[in-house]
Amino acid sequence: MNAPTPALVARPERLRLVGQRRQFLAVMHQRLMVGMLVFALIVGAIVLRLTYLGLFGDHAGRQVGPSALLPERGDIVDREGHPLARTIDSWTVALQPSKVIGDKLALARELARLMPERDAAGWLAEIRSKKSFIYLRRRAAPRLVQALNALGEPGIALSREPDRLYPQTDLAAHVLGFTDIDGHGAAGMERAFDEYLSDPARRGEPLTLSINSRVQQALEHELIEAQTKFNAIGAAGVLLDIHTGEVLAMTSLPQLNPNVAGNMNPEARFNRATLGVFELGSTFKPFTVAMALDSGTVKSMGQMYPCYDRLPLPGGRVITDTHPFGRPCSVSEIMMESSNIGTAQIAAQVGGERQRDFLKKMGFLNKVEVELPERGRALTIPVGRWNAATTMTVGFGHSIAVTPLHLAVGYATLFNGGLYRPATLLKVDARHKVAPGRRVFSEETSYKMRALLRLVVTKGTGKKADAIGYRVGGKTGTAEKVIGGGYSKTVNITSFAGVFPMEEPRYAMVVMLDEPKGTSETYGFRTAGWNSAPTFGKVVARIAPMLGMRPDMKRDASLGEVLPFIREEK
Amino acid sequence: MMRGFKEVGWVAAVAGTALGCYMVNLKVASERASLEDVENRIVLAQRDIRVLQTEIGTRGRLEQLESWNVKVLALSAPQASQFLEGGFQLATLTAPKKTVDPAAPVVLASAPAPAPSTPPAMAREEQGQTARDLMQVASLKRELPEPTVQKTVDKPRLAEQKPVKATAKAATPSPKPEAKRPAAPTTARQKVAAAATPAKQSSKTATTKKPATTSPPKDSKARQ
Repeated sequence: MNAPTPALVARPERLRLVGQRRQFLAVMHQRLMVGMLVFALIVGAIVLRLTYLGLFGDHAGRQVGPSALLPERGDIVDREGHPLARTIDSWTVALQPSKVIGDKLALARELARLMPERDAAGWLAEIRSKKSFIYLRRRAAPRLVQALNALGEPGIALSREPDRLYPQTDLAAHVLGFTDIDGHGAAGMERAFDEYLSDPARRGEPLTLSINSRVQQALEHELIEAQTKFNAIGAAGVLLDIHTGEVLAMTSLPQLNPNVAGNMNPEARFNRATLGVFELGSTFKPFTVAMALDSGTVKSMGQMYPCYDRLPLPGGRVITDTHPFGRPCSVSEIMMESSNIGTAQIAAQVGGERQRDFLKKMGFLNKVEVELPERGRALTIPVGRWNAATTMTVGFGHSIAVTPLHLAVGYATLFNGGLYRPATLLKVDARHKVAPGRRVFSEETSYKMRALLRLVVTKGTGKKADAIGYRVGGKTGTAEKVIGGGYSKTVNITSFAGVFPMEEPRYAMVVMLDEPKGTSETYGFRTAGWNSAPTFGKVVARIAPMLGMRPDMKRDASLGEVLPFIREEK
Repeated sequence: MMRGFKEVGWVAAVAGTALGCYMVNLKVASERASLEDVENRIVLAQRDIRVLQTEIGTRGRLEQLESWNVKVLALSAPQASQFLEGGFQLATLTAPKKTVDPAAPVVLASAPAPAPSTPPAMAREEQGQTARDLMQVASLKRELPEPTVQKTVDKPRLAEQKPVKATAKAATPSPKPEAKRPAAPTTARQKVAAAATPAKQSSKTATTKKPATTSPPKDSKARQ
């Protein structure tokens, strides 16, 4: 048992070999360990990732679908929520000539049959052209898309793209405006609220306008009827809620179809209600009387003014009346018969400075205040050249041109208790509060004017505007149109501005006809009492029930303040 | 032995639990997927609804409705006088218009001719001329026996009152079918029908007189 141990007898080289091997093994172990660790880490990472995906991740079969109903561009709705503008997906058909593989001539013939705007030769030229992409039709009808798809030609590309649609077509087109080919607002509210409508955070919520579709339709229809009947070149109408300044209806004729706005002529695109400025004539007279009442120069409706046949103005111009009194007459009579001579004298008493001050407070010397980008600036004589004659002519609505919306806002100011509020096309609610008013006339003046305007309709020039049961009050206005630098004797702009119901005014409306002609029914007359006034009456009779008013024959505004000052003609 | 199995048991338990958790997880994921699917379908349906609404709105746009109203249906906006104050006023419009005196005796179309000879005479005495007049209006018979009796008794009174009667009659809307008008109160609408029917009835009564006389009591009860 005392034999030597192999190690002790091993030769030194062998010992060295063993040592090397051990070292080698150790290194191997070390490497294996590192490799294993790396492997374990990777596996661990995969397991962790799998666990994470299992717990919180999406499954493999998940479809990426529409997560929410967010239109490309926000809707525009009326005050009752009826859509006026929407963005929908429409079909777009395009041709990619390089991808056409079939018989080009046959394809051209088919295209000419389906889309006859070009003949087969024209289409063939398009197909053979070097262009890479040609729009065949944007906003194509489904039938056409189906027919083109049935051709089975890979060179025809069908795709859907968002498109702005105005379901009510012409309705309130000048308020809505339209969009350009890229889907950005180009006019109207589309342009004014372009940012809001295309903002992803806000476009889910529709833009609510103050327009009432049904009322708007009634106004448009009656105005179109009047335009046709009196052969007018244009017309405009504005209806305001006098307490909030909301525009309930606003239209301008000729009509505009915003769906094909690009094809419409500029005359149709022109908004007469807010951009066009017109000398609106006698509809201004109530303002003059109110200014005089407010500043104390007229103390009673019975104050007398000499109203003989003609009145020379300071500059040498002479003014006359269509219904000359030929005697002194009261303020009530001046209003009732729309006397220029009387009103000019009242205006002269008010004075130029005070008159301009009132006009400024009513917004008549600036651009009309409303959200639309198409706003007209009132045209009048500059301050430097404003003289006594100007004061007198402005008193009866000459030498000052305003938009119909200006006038409607003016009437709202006069009859809502004397507070000026800018017109708004957005619905007044919790988010959009009523604008703070600015006092122009005293409440007393506002109250006194009611009787005066009701008198015009019951006994004066505006009898045809009296919608039975709705107590209309208002004023006719006939102005000679300025053509070639002078007043035309044959071409008129007639208007009727009024409020209803007169004993408790709620709505102000302006109806304007541009160049109406005389008819056999009007005995050839072209004045406002024969065309704008009856149109106003018809509109009121239609829209008042829609606005929640019921006709009442037993109520009326008190005429006690004015009737004693009317001389009964035999 | 036991110690070895214990470890296997642990492994099995952990594996089982893990598998269970995974199964639950899978189940949840699949539920979530189907929920998402439903949500997607809801959104797609909403989109379709929106498209359809737009289409309906475009086809039934106010301008279109107006043109149908005006050109096809010839409708116009209601006038001030067409508004009513309430239910009561509405009810007054539907109330039957009295075309005859309510005091007149009810005379049956199917009543036998000779039977009412005495009662109408009594009624006439009470009511004066009115009842007699109405008898002529209501009964569809020409061969009433009364006139002869009446003429002798009432002639002076009749002669006095007749002009007054005539003016009152003229005020009623249609004095023409006097002889054919039924005795019971009728509405304005029934009047038109009534004007048309008597001619038929008279021819009917001529042909079917006998069956009519066989069953009067039933009818008279029902009418009363």
